[in-house]
Amino acid sequence: MQAGIVAVAVSGIVTGNLTWVPAALVSFFITMIPSLLRRDLHLVLPIELNFWIVLALFLHVVGGFSGLYDRVPGWDHVTHIMSASLVAVLGFVVVVTVDKYVDSIYLPRNFLALFIVLFTMSFGVIWEFLEFANDQLLGTHLQYSLQDTMVDLLFDAFGGSAIAFAGSYYLTNTTPEHFVEKLGADAAKEKIKVMVARRRWRV
Amino acid sequence: MEKGVRRMFGSTKGAWSPRRIIEAELSWVASLVLFFLSIYFAIRGDVLWTAYGITVLSLYVLPMMSKRSPFAALPWDMMVILVVPAVIHVAVGSAWLKGGPTWMDDIASLSFSLSMATIGMLLSVEIQMYTDVRMNSPFAVFFIVMFTLAVSGFWQIGIFIGDELYGTDNQGSNYDVMVSLSWSLVGGMLMAFVYYAYLKAMPEDRRRMLGFVHLWEVGRSKNG
Repeated sequence: MQAGIVAVAVSGIVTGNLTWVPAALVSFFITMIPSLLRRDLHLVLPIELNFWIVLALFLHVVGGFSGLYDRVPGWDHVTHIMSASLVAVLGFVVVVTVDKYVDSIYLPRNFLALFIVLFTMSFGVIWEFLEFANDQLLGTHLQYSLQDTMVDLLFDAFGGSAIAFAGSYYLTNTTPEHFVEKLGADAAKEKIKVMVARRRWRV
Repeated sequence: MEKGVRRMFGSTKGAWSPRRIIEAELSWVASLVLFFLSIYFAIRGDVLWTAYGITVLSLYVLPMMSKRSPFAALPWDMMVILVVPAVIHVAVGSAWLKGGPTWMDDIASLSFSLSMATIGMLLSVEIQMYTDVRMNSPFAVFFIVMFTLAVSGFWQIGIFIGDELYGTDNQGSNYDVMVSLSWSLVGGMLMAFVYYAYLKAMPEDRRRMLGFVHLWEVGRSKNG
């Protein structure tokens, strides 16, 4: 699928259809981030998450490039629910890590679920802001209608709630500490410390 | 002389200092206004605003119940912020504002977002009072902004569903909705930092008088 994203960029350049080239290049770079994190920091994201990132970006880029957004009726909803759940999972990872490393913050499971729903929803609203701003400033037509915007938000809410449930269910089986350990965050923290120290040494 | 002045302005001794009574009375009056408005909304079948009233009133009653003191009422300035959008909602529905000034919508959205931020703030305080959750101030500021945006999003979905069900047109165009959501971003960010400063600047004795609002700022550790 990463190859597919690159293919979109290349064919876009070749055919002179440049609208989706920047998006494809940025997406490709984003799909590289997990492996970069792994190589440099030994931070291991779960493989499912990795796959989810690539799939969401792939559907978005390919759908935009080949006009599937306009032709396939549910495409917009599928990508929205994908990106919303992705945001929810990333929010989950970050919040659980914060919970572990900041002493004055303690977030039990149920509150975590609430937090994930709110986080995803607010991100969905910000996403609609960006579409709206793009429409107003560049004269594009990303927001088709009120109905469309509302259903987008509704699907964001679904995606967020699903991940919130899944996340709090997941934490019944493991503790946040264990989860963060599996990410290799401790080692990553050490690595970052070493890198910062080395940078300081040089200067 | 000095003693008399101190008694007039915010002494903490006893429940009956005049200032404390006046503040509590203001707060009670505001809550009563909201109570009757909620009944009015419920009779009219206005689901969203009835839910709003119930949420605010339960947040209002909770500290009073658990402290068993009517003086553990929420600060009156917060209550005013919470009552204003409901009053505006009634006023907008009335005949004499039909075709009124266009900026009325902006005022309504802004006051709604201010009240949402206030609810987020109260929620973050009361969750810490009654559960194991602990936050520190930066996290709470983030929580308030996020809460305001997210609930405004859910609120718009609620209005949309209501419009679809009853064939009304309360929502206006996509443009109206986006402007209203933008106001909630502005209001949320504004209020989050206002509350941050408000709790920092609140004098010690007033904070003790309110009894519970200090929690938010302290950010106790997991064991404490």
